[in-house]
Amino acid sequence: MAVASVPHGGVHVEQPDQLYNEIRDLRLQGFLLALISDCVLFSSFVFAYLYLRNSGQGWPPPGIPRLDVPFAAWNSVLLFGSGATMHYALENHKHNNFMKYMLFLIATIILGAGFLGGQGYEYTHLIVSEHITWSGSGIFGASFFTLTGMHGFHVFVGVIFLTVLLMQSAAGVYTREKFFGITAGTLYWHFVDVIWVLLFSIFYLI
Amino acid sequence: MATHAPVAHPGGIAGHIHQEPQGFVRRYVFSIDHKIIGIQYLITGFVFFILAGLLAETIRTQLLNANGGFVSPETYNEVYSIHGSAMVWLVVIPILTGGFGNLVFPLQIGARDVAFPWLNLLSFWIFPVAGLMLFSSFLMGAPTAGWTEYPPVSLQGAAGTSMWAAAIFLVGVSSTLTGINFVVTLLKMRAPGMTFTRMPLFCWAQFATAPLLMIATTALAAALAALFIERQFGVPFFDPTKGGSAVLWQHMFWFYSHPAVYIMILPAFGIISEVLPTFARKPIFGYKLIAFSSMAIALAGFMVWAHHMFTSGLAPYLQLPFMILTFAIGVPTGIKIFSWTATLWGGKIHLTTAMLFAIGFIALFTCGGITGIFLAAVPYDLDVHGTYFVVAHFHYVLVGGSMMGVFAGMYYWFPKMSGRLLNETLGKIHFWLFFIGFNGTFLPMHWLGVEGMPRWVASYDPQFEFWNRFASISSYVMALGMLVFFYNVISSARFGKRSGPNPWNGRTLEWMIPSPPHYYNFKNIPTVYGLPYDFSHPLPYKGLEDELNDSPPAAAGAH
Ligand code: HEM
Ligand SMILES: [Cu+2]
Repeated sequence: MAVASVPHGGVHVEQPDQLYNEIRDLRLQGFLLALISDCVLFSSFVFAYLYLRNSGQGWPPPGIPRLDVPFAAWNSVLLFGSGATMHYALENHKHNNFMKYMLFLIATIILGAGFLGGQGYEYTHLIVSEHITWSGSGIFGASFFTLTGMHGFHVFVGVIFLTVLLMQSAAGVYTREKFFGITAGTLYWHFVDVIWVLLFSIFYLI
Repeated sequence: MATHAPVAHPGGIAGHIHQEPQGFVRRYVFSIDHKIIGIQYLITGFVFFILAGLLAETIRTQLLNANGGFVSPETYNEVYSIHGSAMVWLVVIPILTGGFGNLVFPLQIGARDVAFPWLNLLSFWIFPVAGLMLFSSFLMGAPTAGWTEYPPVSLQGAAGTSMWAAAIFLVGVSSTLTGINFVVTLLKMRAPGMTFTRMPLFCWAQFATAPLLMIATTALAAALAALFIERQFGVPFFDPTKGGSAVLWQHMFWFYSHPAVYIMILPAFGIISEVLPTFARKPIFGYKLIAFSSMAIALAGFMVWAHHMFTSGLAPYLQLPFMILTFAIGVPTGIKIFSWTATLWGGKIHLTTAMLFAIGFIALFTCGGITGIFLAAVPYDLDVHGTYFVVAHFHYVLVGGSMMGVFAGMYYWFPKMSGRLLNETLGKIHFWLFFIGFNGTFLPMHWLGVEGMPRWVASYDPQFEFWNRFASISSYVMALGMLVFFYNVISSARFGKRSGPNPWNGRTLEWMIPSPPHYYNFKNIPTVYGLPYDFSHPLPYKGLEDELNDSPPAAAGAH
């Protein structure tokens, strides 16, 4: 990708700031480790779900209708698409295409919010029309709403995270050399994506 | 004097000298200095130790007589539940990791602080809050199902159990943050030349513990969150009558809590590995074996949790593999014990109090390890599970191991914290009262268990009365030892003999700088070119020449 002629954020420095890179690495490692712990949190609940699911009463348990798989699949497309746009956002930032970076970031935020909307619609449908609830539908309601809810909450946090990034970028906080926040946001967003691949497979496909 | 070269050492910004904050509150209360935070952990941990210790004496007083009578059976259940939880999560783990970890290992690797000082401040302050929450659950009907809180019992009962879950969850968050901080610090902030194979063994121990803190603790957090949700919102996870599974709790709990027993012992191993070579004046035997066996133990710890579930519906075909895996964990542990003994062999032994505790540790921990192997043998466990034999086992490892390690560390590093020595005579009195009291309390529990006395009972068959009474009276002796210890710490902190920078002739980096160290630890970050503990060689450090004179740091504020 071509390097844009006008670098954003002021002076164009070829040599990265040595000191700054060191801190960025520290923080990035810390952030990665935090994501790993978060992953363990999800894994524990996934384990619990699979354990309960295999504890012998058949799945889905009696009285639980089938989930609307095509709807969830379309909704997932939004989330996976947002993973791609986020990737391009970071790439464009690295290559100094400020406008493209902003556009891809905005697209990511919209897609993420769209996913949340879809999840809201799915929840409403399940609760209002199918009468499936968190506490009243046995281990199905317990594990489905806990896990997808935890994930939805992460997406929600991510949307806020990215919105803050957007505002900071508009204010010129990040330069070509200093963009820890953007890297962290990208990592986080991909993390949320990967978790959804897992959740989608175990709840809707198997 | 050599001019100070602008170092591009791996410390990054944290390797540069910070301005010391002014004022009592910013220096000692909301401090971001790892040494102060370490001391805060130690003080808070010991305060909780006193509270949990009073509960322990309540238990023993109740068991003086076969028919109990000191407290009601319901209160008794609450007392032992909070006693165990507090000892594990508010005493042993925070003291060993947050306390000694923070205090010592950044000094030993030649760093100026941990990687994230502000995160460290946060981790610390979560801990006393969570501790107060845990004890406050007494006011709302404390949990009664022991420190493991198995459902369905833990699903019933008063609000205290939810409070318990929330409190332990918070301690878990604090541990996880500490773990992250330690891993990054150890990976990124070692002084130049401080390769992994030159790192003091205490650092290796913290390095092995940190991933356990991060990973195992998060798994526990999930279990606690589920328990909390189930109790507060009626969402079924563990209640069998609603399709949940009580065994699921045990899997989630022990997947954490078996690795957690290594969180409770690996740092103590590290302390012992520092104390022994210093006072035997010999390089530690099998440095690499000790270092790598810590990592092996940490890894293998994740694969044996189900040995706590032999009697609770674990599929029989799983029993054999878990039994064999558990036996296998005995191997790296045995390697360590062998290395320590070999270090003592032919050494020029200085029997300081720290050394006494270290030797006591080896003896008692070995006993605890051996009964662990007994318990891992399924047929034997089926017999003694749920009896006092288990109580004896884990107190030998937790008190005889972890706590003895804590005491060894206190006598060893107290001069570094305060600039003053603990009184050795009082120290020895502490040791002997504690050692004798400890064995008198817990040794008879082995035979009580074999004879079939069950755990978690407020009254018992009169045939067990003699040894119970013996244990209770011995426990008072132990408590007396603790009084001596606390008196010693408080009086020596004010009036103790001045220690100077290196009272024990230690060879690791923390002994090369003043006691207590400056805010920024090192005036110049040293360079390391040799092994620790090598008593027959000159010190393997360069650049420490002006650490001990009082001139201002060479390059404060520069670059
Ligand atoms: C390293 C330090 C260790 C600590 C801190 C520790 C701690 C504990 C604790 C607290 C329990 C009681 C659990 C309960 O409340 O039910 C326990 C039980 C057990 N420990 Fe350890 N332990 C340690 C080492 C070992 C070792 C080395 C082995 C085996 C090689 C072992 C094998 C067992 C077994 C099999 C049980 C289950 C007994 C039963 O519930 O019937 N432990 N341990
Ligand atoms: Cu275990």
